Amino acid sequence: MSSPVSSWLGAVRTASGGMLRHKVQVVAIGLVLLVSTASATLGLALLAASNTPFAHAFGAQNGSDVTVTVNSARAGPVALAATRGLGGVTAASGPFAESTVQTQFGGQPFGQLTLAGRASPGGPVDDVVLNAGHWPDGPGQVALDGSPGGGGPVLGSRLAVTGVPGAPALVVVGFGNSVTNTADGWVTPGEISRLQAPGVPPSAQMLYRFTHAASYAEVRADVAEVTGALPPHAVTGAASWLAAENQAAGNGAIMEPFVVAFALIGLAMAVLIVGNVVSGAVVAGYQRIGVLKSVGLTPAQVVLAYLSRVGWPALAGCLIGVVAGNVLAIPVLQNSAGAYGVGSQQVPLWASVAAPLGMLVLVGLAGFGPALRAGRLSAAEAIAAGRAPRAGHGYAAHRLAARLRLPRPVGLGLAAPFARPARTAVTLAAIAFGATAVIFAFGLNSSLSRAAASQTHSATVPVRVLQFGPGNGPGQTPGAAQDAAVPAALRDVPGTLHSVALYGNQVKVPGIAGNVDAQAFGGDAAWIGYGIIAGRWYDAPGEVDVNTAFLTQSGLAVGDTVTVDTSPLTQVTVRIVGEVFHPHNQPVLFGSTQTLPGLAAAANLQEYDVSLRPGVSTAGYVQAVNGALGQQNPWQATSQNGGGQFYSIASDLVGLLALMVAVAAGLGVLNTVLMTTRDKVHDLGVFKSLGMRPGQVLTMVVAWVAGPAVVAAAIAAPAAVALNTATVRAMAGTAHTGIPAAFTQVFPPSRLAVLSLAAVAIAVAGALLPATWAARSRPAVALHAE
Amino acid sequence: MQRQSVPGDVIRLDGVTKTYQADAPPALADLSLDVAAGEVVAVMGPSGSGKSTLLNLIAGLDRPTAGTVTVAGRRLDNLGESGLARFRARHVGIIFQFFNLLDDLTVADNVLLPAQLAGASRRTARARAAELLARMGIERNADDYPARLSGGQRQRVAIARALVNSPELLLADEPTGALDTATGQEIGRLLQQLNEAGQTMVLVTHDPALAERYAARTIRIVDGQLAGAGVPA
Repeated sequence: MSSPVSSWLGAVRTASGGMLRHKVQVVAIGLVLLVSTASATLGLALLAASNTPFAHAFGAQNGSDVTVTVNSARAGPVALAATRGLGGVTAASGPFAESTVQTQFGGQPFGQLTLAGRASPGGPVDDVVLNAGHWPDGPGQVALDGSPGGGGPVLGSRLAVTGVPGAPALVVVGFGNSVTNTADGWVTPGEISRLQAPGVPPSAQMLYRFTHAASYAEVRADVAEVTGALPPHAVTGAASWLAAENQAAGNGAIMEPFVVAFALIGLAMAVLIVGNVVSGAVVAGYQRIGVLKSVGLTPAQVVLAYLSRVGWPALAGCLIGVVAGNVLAIPVLQNSAGAYGVGSQQVPLWASVAAPLGMLVLVGLAGFGPALRAGRLSAAEAIAAGRAPRAGHGYAAHRLAARLRLPRPVGLGLAAPFARPARTAVTLAAIAFGATAVIFAFGLNSSLSRAAASQTHSATVPVRVLQFGPGNGPGQTPGAAQDAAVPAALRDVPGTLHSVALYGNQVKVPGIAGNVDAQAFGGDAAWIGYGIIAGRWYDAPGEVDVNTAFLTQSGLAVGDTVTVDTSPLTQVTVRIVGEVFHPHNQPVLFGSTQTLPGLAAAANLQEYDVSLRPGVSTAGYVQAVNGALGQQNPWQATSQNGGGQFYSIASDLVGLLALMVAVAAGLGVLNTVLMTTRDKVHDLGVFKSLGMRPGQVLTMVVAWVAGPAVVAAAIAAPAAVALNTATVRAMAGTAHTGIPAAFTQVFPPSRLAVLSLAAVAIAVAGALLPATWAARSRPAVALHAE
Repeated sequence: MQRQSVPGDVIRLDGVTKTYQADAPPALADLSLDVAAGEVVAVMGPSGSGKSTLLNLIAGLDRPTAGTVTVAGRRLDNLGESGLARFRARHVGIIFQFFNLLDDLTVADNVLLPAQLAGASRRTARARAAELLARMGIERNADDYPARLSGGQRQRVAIARALVNSPELLLADEPTGALDTATGQEIGRLLQQLNEAGQTMVLVTHDPALAERYAARTIRIVDGQLAGAGVPA
């Protein structure tokens, strides 16, 4: 005789066993939960990653509060070691010998690198995370700060060091990440002496953690304490962790708004789809449960049977989904870690637990109501409830559709959703969410592209001439002849369309604490195309443009006049005629050298910006200019391309998130159409018996979702526009900048109309599979399927 | 042995076998049958004997496992699904025991549907539907929904729908099975009138009286095989 428990479970097993006959619905439940859970896991991981990632990484890597650079000829190892015992110091690493060198990669200038000699990446302070390769363990090896690729060096690449005897080469053997950017690369300690330029005093770095280093004032006090403990003039520089945090915040926090937007869309849609799938599966099982109740199943067994009917595929979907979410998160987090400059990031354990648990709770809540109702129904009621939709719904729609001059299958399909208003509303919402995500993604990509183009000027300024050539070693500056060679080369080399010299220096502006970064152009610079947030680009002496930080910190507005102190002896009064897009915490001011006369000095000459005539090869032009300048000239032309790493990562993320949301929406549609197909299986048999051809069946079933898709498109288009505007503004807000109106005006009506077709695409893609099944089903089978 | 098709046969089945499961006995086994134009044939037999399977094969709703099915001059066993659907729309009208009307369409729209699916012009289809509704005596119910009609009225709607494309063959599966006796007789008389107008019909029925009264010939199927054929007295 069986025990009560086994008989109880046996009954439940029998009741829930029906799900095996509905394999497609089982697969749909599993897939929706898989996508939803993966999306939720990724979303939570990204939220966690963008939520104070610097603080997490700083703690995990024992970031350096203060990196002090010393002249090691003045402060020897003993004196430096003594600073470990200073009152506020809680930990210290070093001294590490360092050298700042000029490098070339692939024959092109690669810039100035500060290399530190460290025997290992670890230590009590600044525990460098190795991202790829290995730590240098011999001469001629270097590990670079950052990640491989992206057009830069990869493992095995060779960097040529210029400006030091013998022009030694360094092979890249690893990539690491220092959360506080203590160096641009690391070599073995013995390597540093080989990288010292003649006549440059030896240098070393000490890395400290202090009891109090939460503010600039505390950091200044800490530096003063170290400086006081060392011989006079031994300290040559100090870098604070606050600067690194500012930089990380500029990269990371800016991602939060759109990650949050996608996470909310994904979550809302998961709730809808899961609720629809689960309650649909439950309702589909009414008839079977009714029959089983008639042979003795208790209400409690019915409830459990219902929940187990959807629970197993849901559980499987959640488990696979959390794995998929983790797998998807790996490259995304690697990229975002690179953008944050905070070392490696992982999906937090709580996200891997919370996402599937949350989804399972959602499944339970969605299924519990219908299950409870089924448990309370009498057997006869349960059987009746499993049949067709309530009579009367949608009749008027069918009557109207019959009067329209449309092919009959289309009319029948368009009227069908009115028979199940609640299910149609859920389908419509799912399509609308999916389409909103897709349109939003396209819009955000356009906005980010415009921001990238406006920030980097890569489209308008394909070539820059900068001072990083071989003659620009430490202590060396270009001579007057070398300076003069640049405009001559730009004038003589064919292909130059525009060129302008850019001078930069720090200036003082009343009302702004600290310095203002002044940028003065030695000619027309309007062609560079700075994004104008308000006002216009300057076009007369005495006019300047400023960035948002300038206006925020000064309290001034476009149209105001202000006195600029360009040097101790030169004060000019200028009028602010425009606010330009230049995302930066520091206030910046743009004008001509006529307006800011104190800046037009050789020492302030930063670069030449160059645009090319149409059809001119950038690489060929750069080569020609560098040939004209000569190998020993510190001024070297370089091409700039791409929109910056942040924009590239953001674009990938947006695409991935939109794809996941769209796939989930398509699955939601698939499930709804599948349920409707089941409801209407007998009607489909009748249609076929009356001569409806497979193509007409396909058309009719696809038309079931066409109406909701059109309404969803009408909802999604303005929703996506509003979401894009709000998100871009929020992103700009976190980057301390306003935005030109053009950044959000990325949806001309024609483009919006085309993008709105995403709703139709999602609906048709979701409906096509069940429509094909319906079209292929044998009429005799369909007629007898009821 | 393959038989010669006789001109004037609307239905010709040659050695038709239908098997649903490989290890189960066939639903129909090596069955051959001719129905001439204008003839009314009643198909009788116990439940599960293969009557509905036979009807499905003649209607092109299903395909035989073996043998050939020729209806209205067309070989159905080698037609694709689209071909079968076109065949059903133009050459066959089907009446079901439980009417199989579409509840969310009005009576008129139910009747119009096969014509619309077959691509008939709106005007022609409407005229034909109006004519049939009048002929069936239900023209006043054109805008009603099936749920508001009696069983007899529903079956009249189903007959009108079956005839809207003027098919060569009318198939009726227990057309009076869901009706009371008096209503069943009404429907029987209606079918008789159609036959008198030249309509070829196959009636599947359990009702010997219906077969005796209205069919020119009755065939009996038992266990998927013809058990006998005769002309009702």
